[in-house]
Amino acid sequence: MNSPHPYAFLALFAAVAVAFPLALLGVARLWARYFSPPKPSATKNDVYECGVAPTGDSWIQFKAHYYLYATLFLIFDVEVLFLLPIAVAFTELPVGALFAVLIFILLLAEGLVWAWHRGHLEWK
Amino acid sequence: MKPNYTELFAALSPEAALIVGALLVVVLDLTLGRKKIAEARWHAAVRIALLAVGLAGCFTFASGRPGAEFGGAFMLDALAQATRYSVLVLAALSLALLPGTARMRHPAEFVAVVLFATAGFSVMATAQNLLIAFLALELASLSLYVLAGFDKTRPESAEAALKYFLFGGVSAAFLLFGFSLLYGLTGSIELNVIARELGAQAASPLLVVALVMVLVAFGFKAAAVPFHLWAPDVYQGAPAPAAALIASASKVAGFTFFARLLWSGTGASSGQAPAWMLTLAILAGASLLLGNVAALAQRNLRRLLAYSAIAHAGIMLLGVMTGTRFGPGALLYYTFTYGLATVGTFGVIAIIERAGRCQDLDDLAGLYRRSPLLAGCLLMFVLSLAGIPPLAGFFGKFLLFSQALRLTGLTGPAGWLAIAAIALSAVALYYYLIVLKRAFVTPAVAGTEARIAVPLKPALALLLAAALLLALGVFPSSALRLVT
Amino acid sequence: MIPATLNGYLAIAVALFAIGLVGVLVRRNTLVVFMCLELMLVASTLALVAFSRFNGTMDGNVFVFFILTVAAAEVAVGLAIIVALFRKRQTIQIDQLNTLKH
Repeated sequence: MNSPHPYAFLALFAAVAVAFPLALLGVARLWARYFSPPKPSATKNDVYECGVAPTGDSWIQFKAHYYLYATLFLIFDVEVLFLLPIAVAFTELPVGALFAVLIFILLLAEGLVWAWHRGHLEWK
Repeated sequence: MKPNYTELFAALSPEAALIVGALLVVVLDLTLGRKKIAEARWHAAVRIALLAVGLAGCFTFASGRPGAEFGGAFMLDALAQATRYSVLVLAALSLALLPGTARMRHPAEFVAVVLFATAGFSVMATAQNLLIAFLALELASLSLYVLAGFDKTRPESAEAALKYFLFGGVSAAFLLFGFSLLYGLTGSIELNVIARELGAQAASPLLVVALVMVLVAFGFKAAAVPFHLWAPDVYQGAPAPAAALIASASKVAGFTFFARLLWSGTGASSGQAPAWMLTLAILAGASLLLGNVAALAQRNLRRLLAYSAIAHAGIMLLGVMTGTRFGPGALLYYTFTYGLATVGTFGVIAIIERAGRCQDLDDLAGLYRRSPLLAGCLLMFVLSLAGIPPLAGFFGKFLLFSQALRLTGLTGPAGWLAIAAIALSAVALYYYLIVLKRAFVTPAVAGTEARIAVPLKPALALLLAAALLLALGVFPSSALRLVT
Repeated sequence: MIPATLNGYLAIAVALFAIGLVGVLVRRNTLVVFMCLELMLVASTLALVAFSRFNGTMDGNVFVFFILTVAAAEVAVGLAIIVALFRKRQTIQIDQLNTLKH
């Protein structure tokens, strides 16, 4: 095989990868134009086209608190990622590493304290 | 190699001071600031933050033992130290603009995020390792997204933040993919090892792809054409102090970081002109042309500043090219003095906004009568941006252009760019003078003739920035000696 | 010579990156754009892990740890911005966000 370069296929792959989603989106658009032109009506825009009649708008405002909880959880979720390797290698680490980890946890704890004080942990 | 944490802490003490400062600002505001009015909380937060920045400056001075630190992850050379000082000065000026002008809620959080961003800039200046560099860049960028969207009273602020975030996210992804390819090619994430390995290898298409990806990210960060689309929107929508930081300290740190990456990591030492030179020249030329021409058409002062920033980014890219032979001095001098002038201009905008609107050029009308101090400072900043002697902007341009002409002579790309930049500076002068004409000649619109009260700290910041511009313009060599 | 399997990983990484990029450029819903951004980051992660395996150094794997963290932080900041924007404008469609014009 006389391929010019071992990585040349990457360029080809990138091109294919760009073309593939574009082609699909284009075909979908063309299909929609010729076979199913949009005819919006109140019934079609319902949340369920058949079945239970929805009451009210589906775009209701969720309490922003849900999202804040998720964010706070995310932070401490990711914290484990760093603590686990530290725990595994704990016996071989110098004291400095312990301090570094303590500083790291302190930073996160401060974030929690901040959220607490601002009242973001109250379930209202 | 056993990592030495004492050494690490000594090397990073300025950043530690900034982070501790940020934590203190938040904690003190939570405990002591609860009952106080917003104005007092702003003053207290900014006072602590300025103290932290000052302390970081002292620590930078004390940590001035040049060399690689922590197994080569950090590099404390003259460029890093000078960039740290520049970033700290610009951040301090942006902070000092806040008390008395900012109307946002949550002062402590804003100030703390500014300090986080500054720490990010500072680490970017010293990073000698792809991982550290990426983390520092992300710390700075994420903080800046938050700052851009901080003003919840105006919907434009959130929109600017979203645009900045999306463009910045794409740029980060490009940078990361470029980094992963560089790592794959060389088996290391340390810049000096990468440089050595790449020097030993033949040029490969994969290296070109990696470089292109890094350059795309660089283009986004520097707001170079064709990756400039976020800049006008962000400059227009973000709160003025945040825009000041985005336009100044972020530029300085970003250029130092990417210039270091390109100079040391990617085979500039292999004798011939490195592969990225031509791409950079094209970016620079396009930025110069589009920035200057589009700025002519602007009616909005902030958008005008954004397009002028794009044009300036073109000149700075020229500085990255010349830096391969003449060292980083001219580039850093240019970015720093540009940052000073931009912080100053946004400071003037922030203070005018306190009294009323300051978006369109017409909002500047009658500024000379309304506040001679602001008008005088604006004159200094805008003339420095335009490059009028004896201000620092002139010497920065002079130095860069003369180096560019010496780099390749009149026939090389750098020479052409320098000539184009000189020609376009005349265009730039036109729109800068329009700004000044509004401020000095056009009379104020009826109903807005009231004098503008200038709060103390912002006034001091403006005067300091103007004085620095003048001093650096008159004595450039003493500043340049710091870098070389 | 690099074993062929590395190329397989790289091909998937490049494909993920390209699909993510197309999504960012084409889609109009901010949340979908946001997911495509994450896809681009994941592509780099895959490339790093593959390179790390085949280079025989740990640096790439360590890099991935930090990328995951950065991605989480990006999600937090990005969602905060989207929520703030939705509260003001009641929309997150990118083409309707055009208050910032000359």
